[in-house]
Amino acid sequence: MNFIPQIFQRRKIDRDVADEIESHIEEKAAEFVAQGMTSSAALLAARREFGNVALTAQQSREVWRWAPLEELLADLRYAARQYRRAPAFAAAAIATLALGIGANTAVFSVVNAVVLRPLPFPEADRLVSVASLDTRGGAPHPDQLSYPEFFALRRQNKVFEHIVCYRDTAMALSGAGEAVNIPAQIVSWDLLEALRVRPVAGRGFRPEEEAASEHVVILGYRLWQKKFAADPNIAGRTISLNREPYTVVGVAPRDFAFPFDNPAVQLWTTLAIDARSATQQAMTDQAGSRLLEAFGRLRPGVTIQRAKSQLDSVAAELAHQDPDSYGAVASTWITPAIDSVIGDTRRPVLILLGAVGLVLLIACANVANLLLARTAEREREFAVRASIGAGRARIVRQLFTESFSLAIAGSCAGVLLAIACVHAVARLAAGSIPRLEQASVDAPVLAFSIALAFLTTVLFSLAPAMRLARIELISPLKEAARGNAATGGRFCGALVVVQIALGLVLLSGAGLLASSFTHLLHRDVGFRTDGLLTFSVGMPTELTRGTAHLPFESRVLDRLRALPGVTSAAAAVPMPLAGHQIMMSFNIEERPSGPSNRPISDMALVTPEYFLTVGIPLQEGRLFTERDDGKSEPVLVVNRAFADKFFPGERVLGKRIDPGGTADDVRTGMREIVGVVGNARQDALGAAPDAIYYYAEKQLPWCCLQYAVRTSGSVPALQSSIHAVVAQIDPDAPVYKMHPMEEMLSQALSAPRFQTLLLGAFAAIALLLTAVGLYGVLAYAVLSRTREIGIRIALGANPSAVLRMVLRRAGILVVSGIAIGATGAAAGNRLIRTIVYADDMPQSLLLFTACVVLVIAATAAALIPARRAASVDPIRALRND
Amino acid sequence: MMVLRTLQRSPLHGYALAQQIKRSSKDLLQIEEGSLYPALQRMLKDGWLKAHWDVSPTGRRIRVYRITAAGARHLDKEVSSFERMLEGVRFVLDGNQSPERV
Repeated sequence: MNFIPQIFQRRKIDRDVADEIESHIEEKAAEFVAQGMTSSAALLAARREFGNVALTAQQSREVWRWAPLEELLADLRYAARQYRRAPAFAAAAIATLALGIGANTAVFSVVNAVVLRPLPFPEADRLVSVASLDTRGGAPHPDQLSYPEFFALRRQNKVFEHIVCYRDTAMALSGAGEAVNIPAQIVSWDLLEALRVRPVAGRGFRPEEEAASEHVVILGYRLWQKKFAADPNIAGRTISLNREPYTVVGVAPRDFAFPFDNPAVQLWTTLAIDARSATQQAMTDQAGSRLLEAFGRLRPGVTIQRAKSQLDSVAAELAHQDPDSYGAVASTWITPAIDSVIGDTRRPVLILLGAVGLVLLIACANVANLLLARTAEREREFAVRASIGAGRARIVRQLFTESFSLAIAGSCAGVLLAIACVHAVARLAAGSIPRLEQASVDAPVLAFSIALAFLTTVLFSLAPAMRLARIELISPLKEAARGNAATGGRFCGALVVVQIALGLVLLSGAGLLASSFTHLLHRDVGFRTDGLLTFSVGMPTELTRGTAHLPFESRVLDRLRALPGVTSAAAAVPMPLAGHQIMMSFNIEERPSGPSNRPISDMALVTPEYFLTVGIPLQEGRLFTERDDGKSEPVLVVNRAFADKFFPGERVLGKRIDPGGTADDVRTGMREIVGVVGNARQDALGAAPDAIYYYAEKQLPWCCLQYAVRTSGSVPALQSSIHAVVAQIDPDAPVYKMHPMEEMLSQALSAPRFQTLLLGAFAAIALLLTAVGLYGVLAYAVLSRTREIGIRIALGANPSAVLRMVLRRAGILVVSGIAIGATGAAAGNRLIRTIVYADDMPQSLLLFTACVVLVIAATAAALIPARRAASVDPIRALRND
Repeated sequence: MMVLRTLQRSPLHGYALAQQIKRSSKDLLQIEEGSLYPALQRMLKDGWLKAHWDVSPTGRRIRVYRITAAGARHLDKEVSSFERMLEGVRFVLDGNQSPERV
């Protein structure tokens, strides 16, 4: 109850009791003196009558105690005293634990932010992603929706409170400072309602604002602050987007991010923009434009299975009505929305957590070793305590308290370390791992590190405690000196074997990732990244219709070519390394098939100079020329992978396929393949280059292409002249996404780089800790055998024989560790191979390399104690006692 | 219980309390005087007693204990339950006169 003030009153109470007892005895003695005793005899008699003074005093004091806590505090004080007496031991143990716990805390904060944390919306567990399930081309895979499909799902919806579609776009904001291009989303009207987000100003969209005539927009908080000075009356104001007037209806809250993993998006507009978009048919009516992502909020109590079966029936009905458009997507794909955000990153992040867990185990083994050595040294002390009445359990508890205080100290230092590191870690792969930038050391992470402190305490004090419980506590008192180093040595040896095994697992895993990453770095991307710059230009809406953008584009290209140092310039969409942006199915003339069974591959639109500019070599036939336009023969160029995949072993030139892409003034029907080019990677991480076919832009004038410029001069200088060139043509057209291709490649590789660096760092720490552990065990063995070694040398043993003796012991430990670790390493690498993008290094070579590294580190660690043993001075060693 | 009852009659210090108990039990209860003190501390902690330092008529610094209201209540409870127990013991010792048998 009120034991806390009592703790502070303790001294007074103790003094009172002591005074009182003293006074009692004096009074009694005085009485005996009055009866005629001498004063000394009286005092003795009084004490005899009183009983055990010390015990009484103690029992009186104990009444006031809250025993468990008091004992804990006493143990803690004792532990602190112990560590003050052995600062090197304490520092080594705490540093090791700080490293282990810090690394784990940092990685856990990443896991927490990326995988564990729910989406930041009310009842986020009811949010699900909705897609159609495409059964074309191998395994069924989720595919985006078309507007007609989405409208059907929404109209017949019985399972969602809201179902919302969205797609990426970008809008040029002018009239508010310099024209800028802002990442935006085109959404159905109930985005905010579905997420249960209240705008900080204004309102959300209304259903009628999906009509083609409406121009409404919701601003992101940052955009509102930066471009509109946080104007509180922004709602109702008209702003210029893509040079059309849009009415601002509301402002999203500060932390609002939609799509969930994309905080860069700062504008949301309704699908009205797509209802008035297209050249022939509005996108909202096109069954073939499968560009929409969708999510829904399930009604309470509705399971994903039930939602899926309802949506499936809608999809099946659509497929039945229009098998050409929907035959291949007759069912749907529904997953928790959080899964679509986390995507493929769950596994690599969890593998990293597992790896860092191994580091912690190694750290624990090290501390256990230190503690074992220390316990052995303190055997006499424990024996003394046991002989004056301490129970064995009490001593073991003392040991655990000491360990726990070490772990807590290590954990505190580790958390500080993690706080310092986590931002650096997050920066390593920001952008390539969703939500990584949100990683921070918060309450769950702290709880995790405290749990780690408990866990490590148990792990590293188990061995010393077991040893204490087993040994005869009294015997060390009788013995003159350190007797049983042998049993302790065996224990420590086993720990080092475990460390070596775990270290090998980490080393070979890191080796696998590193070899895969180097492979990615050095493999041919199929084009020349150096001296190549790409960028986009925001076009006014009236230029995006039909072929209106073509004159603008050729003016930009002409001016670019006139710049000093520029060797060539071209336009294309998508650019290499941009990912699989446009997949389009096609019909092969020789093997025609129905619309829902056609083969599918990447495609791109390019201007004639594209291949030269980007550096893709021509292998057969010809490239496009300026004469390949809407009036000439329809042609295509394909890459080698396309030829090999769809026309294996055949001569591909002259084959005809029909991808069916349409636009104004475009001849449809079969197109002849006139050229084969090298494989330029669309995706930097794919195992093999992807098949792709290229349209000449003039034969499919879709807007809008990106620009690629090759320079023999400096890329940074080129960047500013590009801004000038575009501003001369149209001062309101923003230039955006300007990146040197080298930078694009580097960004594309950031996820594997992140994994490789992190696992490499863990392996390095593991190696260091293992080496330190081995060193510690050998050094301790040498120290406790100094006398024996001294005698050997005195009797004529060769120092090199002593050296060999110590190294032999190290060798046995290392070989057993490797033998055990090899199995673990094979299993670990099988796991890691599931996240590896490409590798060409055989398992055995990897394992061998890891073993060699381990053996070198172990030899270095073993040599120091071995040399010390060899240089033992027999005289001093024997005098030691 | 004895301590509380004794202190209820008048506040006393430890030595006097020990003597008083010895005397009032007519020397039948020979307890170790020391064992009194842990008991006193327990009762202090439970709030049944209060203690203060005083100076005795003989000029000795003494710690005087007095019973609190809570202590008195506890004593009443203890006494009545003790008496009930004694009654029970007497019934058993007297054999046939237990209420159930009558």
